[in-house]
Amino acid sequence: MSPEDSDRLWIRSSIGVVVGVLAFGILSGFVIMPVVQGAQAGIDPWTAICRALGISPGSPAAQQPRSAASGVPVSNVIWSPQVLNTLSSAPADAGRELAVGVCAACHGELGVSTDPAQFPNMAGQSSAAIYKQLHDYKSGARINDTMQSVVQDLTDTQMAEAAAYFARRARPPWDVTWVRTAGPEADRLARTGDSARGLPACESCHSPAAAGPVETPVLFAQTPQYLSVQMRAFKSGQRRSDLFGRMRDVAGKLSEREIDMLAQYYSEMR
Amino acid sequence: MRSLDRLTLAHLWLSFAAFAIACVFGLWQMLARSPWPAPFFTPSNYFLSVTAHGSIMAYVLPTFFIMGFGYFTAERALDRRLPLRRLAWAGFGIGIFGVAMAVATILSGRASVLYTFYPPLTGSVWFYIGLVLVVAASWIWCAIMIVAMRDWKRANPGAPVPLAMFATVANAIMWLWTTAGVGTELVFQIIPAALGWTDSVDVGLSRTLFSWTLHAIVYFWLFPAYIAFYTMAPKAAGGRLYSDTMGRVSFVLFLLYSLPVGMHHLFMDPEHSTGFKFLQMTLTVLVTVPTLFTIFTISASMEIAGRLRGGKGLFGWIGALPWERPMVLATGLAFFMLWFGGGGGLINMSYGMNAMVHNTSWVTAHFHLIFGGTVVIMYFAIAYEIWPHVAGSPANSPARQRLQLWLWAIGMMVMTIPWHWLGLLGQWRRVAQFDYTNPLIAQWGPWVLVSVFGGALLLASALLFVWNLAQAHRRPASAVDAFSFARALHEHDRAPRVLNGFGVWNVLVAVLMLAAYGFPIAQFLIDDRPAALVHRTSGRAP
Ligand code: HEC
Ligand code: HEC
Ligand code: HEM
Ligand SMILES: [Cu+2]
Repeated sequence: MSPEDSDRLWIRSSIGVVVGVLAFGILSGFVIMPVVQGAQAGIDPWTAICRALGISPGSPAAQQPRSAASGVPVSNVIWSPQVLNTLSSAPADAGRELAVGVCAACHGELGVSTDPAQFPNMAGQSSAAIYKQLHDYKSGARINDTMQSVVQDLTDTQMAEAAAYFARRARPPWDVTWVRTAGPEADRLARTGDSARGLPACESCHSPAAAGPVETPVLFAQTPQYLSVQMRAFKSGQRRSDLFGRMRDVAGKLSEREIDMLAQYYSEMR
Repeated sequence: MRSLDRLTLAHLWLSFAAFAIACVFGLWQMLARSPWPAPFFTPSNYFLSVTAHGSIMAYVLPTFFIMGFGYFTAERALDRRLPLRRLAWAGFGIGIFGVAMAVATILSGRASVLYTFYPPLTGSVWFYIGLVLVVAASWIWCAIMIVAMRDWKRANPGAPVPLAMFATVANAIMWLWTTAGVGTELVFQIIPAALGWTDSVDVGLSRTLFSWTLHAIVYFWLFPAYIAFYTMAPKAAGGRLYSDTMGRVSFVLFLLYSLPVGMHHLFMDPEHSTGFKFLQMTLTVLVTVPTLFTIFTISASMEIAGRLRGGKGLFGWIGALPWERPMVLATGLAFFMLWFGGGGGLINMSYGMNAMVHNTSWVTAHFHLIFGGTVVIMYFAIAYEIWPHVAGSPANSPARQRLQLWLWAIGMMVMTIPWHWLGLLGQWRRVAQFDYTNPLIAQWGPWVLVSVFGGALLLASALLFVWNLAQAHRRPASAVDAFSFARALHEHDRAPRVLNGFGVWNVLVAVLMLAAYGFPIAQFLIDDRPAALVHRTSGRAP
């Protein structure tokens, strides 16, 4: 055989083998297997082939039992791109009027509260966290007479703009005369958690660099009173608009002493 | 004979220095998952560490090793000066800059997204840009490899490209195809999300694009090991390569069947239909063909060497091999680990059995054995073999080299066998800590501790490796014989045309990719599918 002939043979057989294997895979994956297995599940060949191709839904092949259960969402906040967009890039003073006109009485014009033990500080909080809470007050998922009446007539956009406004204010500074009192135990719970109780580290969600859900608030610059009241509200289930019960689950595992410790710890965070 | 090859040396040192550091992270991770306390342990530190360890082991160690070894091969196998040497140095500069950027970002805690960075989780953009620069540097390498082969072919019309170079170029071409997937994902999905330009991301599409890369990247890592099997081990054993054609066919098959098979990483994913999964599983099975070819050819080559050295009888040739030579020893140990790793791989690629081991420690154990074991031990052997020609004088004594190789192989077996078993017991991968007070989990404890011990052996071996190489720099340059690759038993003055270039194979890869990935990717553009919200770890809004 001349070199040219041998080259030609090599090329032909290479292509032949590759195409042959491909054809075998296609035939068995899209025709033979679906048709045979579909027949066992009572599905006609055409449907079976369409399913194998992924152009009609319906895998697995057997009918799945339907459930009659219906869920009622605790919180019906929707993170649409529009909302997220407003939260991150609303015009500089879009929310100012509302904030100054309405919220300032309690939360302060710059988000530093007039009585932080009662009214949480807003300055520097994540905008998504603020928005989520406002939305929950409005839908009745989070219950508080004062706040529910405040947000009753606000639109989603207004709430998002107010959230963006407060998120951009500078956090209240740390007063140099204060002394840190939270001990290493709180620090360990916050940063490592306690795997024996299935208690995740608070920081795995609450640290700004962590992978917690979008609505996770940043824990800082609140008073220990406010933080502990909220944790107890989660623990008792009185506050229950957290999605999937994430915070209720965590708070439910904390002892009263740990709640106070952690409240102190986070109140000292800036 | 010029014996100092700074270009290769720079690449290999970057690769190995990063590797040694990553091994420290690895041992710490093992400790974190064990019943023993680990210093500095927090879950966020754990994921930071796994991101650093995984990214270095998967992107830095192999990429720079392959580039350095490729430059070496191009000069020695083709026996010509490397073309575009300046460009190669520029590539190295871009690469090291990218590595520094990515690693600094990881260490700052702003990119704990693991080396697979599946969206919608998104870290700091500097991490991704750093990785893109590493990939860009490797593309420069690919281009230089292709140009070097083309120039040589022009100067030697009709002559067969030396096998080592043919394989290196096969790898370069495969890598260009491979990085198209992850490159598209990074540039069009992840980087815009990380920069805040987009708020949602189609995770089905991004997983599909990553799977395009995920299998072939493993073969990219594996190539140097196979190049050493075919073109270095037979010579080190004192024999010849049994068949050069078999080598070419194997390398071409790797190029063909590494790419249209990545969906076997998505068997448990809902975004693809069973038909395409089946097709890709069928193609995956074909990857065993070149592996079996290799086992056969290398065993035959070794048998030739053993018999030349006076080995008799059915298995007598095995004992007659010069096991005291690090390259021969490493090949033996690599094959030993390949045996176990390959068995595990067959389980992973079977649709049904995959469900059983999915996302358990089995998977991590498997790729440590096959990649950290079989492949990396060959990186060591290659480094020892070429070191006299690269660094100007040989690495530490062969006895120290052998000690290091044995430590690695034993450490790897001790670490991964219990780790596989833990996977079968249900231990999750990518989990920072376990509650050993829970009786169900407590029974894992002893197995994990054995793994920790294996990890400690590995770290010791890694440090010894670096030390062995460093010794060469403390000695004066010594005269060495010219380097050459193994010769084939039957040397031909021409190779079949298809096995001397890549034109036909590129077309076939395109056909296979179109069949395997065409519709699965197109469906994301045809249908309007729900996208997930981007989830940034580098700080929430604002
Ligand atoms: C009359 C006082 C008052 C006014 C006015 C008021 N708030 Fe409040 N706000 C409160 C109190 C009290 C709470 C704590 C409620 C609770 O415990 O559920 C609160 C809670 C909140 C919270 C939840 C914070 C958290 O950390 O969970 C947000 C967000 C908030 N307010 C935003 C606003 C905004 C925006 C406005 C203006 C539109 C506003 N508030 C107006 C009294 C007020
Ligand atoms: C799995 C993630 C997660 C973990 C872990 C977690 N949190 Fe939370 N936490 C949240 C989310 C989400 C919210 C907001 C819930 C909502 O939607 O109302 C929240 C809310 C809170 C609030 C109320 C803040 C406010 O401004 O209203 C406090 C206080 C709090 N967490 C404390 C803690 C502490 C202390 C720990 C550790 C023991 C912890 N969290 C662990 C996710 C988490
Ligand atoms: C000292 C030796 C080593 C030890 C002790 C070690 C240990 C570990 C551990 C404990 C993990 C985390 C697993 C998990 O969380 O599920 C890990 C991940 C990883 N290792 Fe290693 N390893 C070592 C060497 C290597 C080598 C040599 C390679 C490859 C060259 C490698 C590649 C990887 C990769 C890519 C990951 C990331 C896996 C993921 O993200 O799921 N490792 N290693
Ligand atoms: Cu794979």
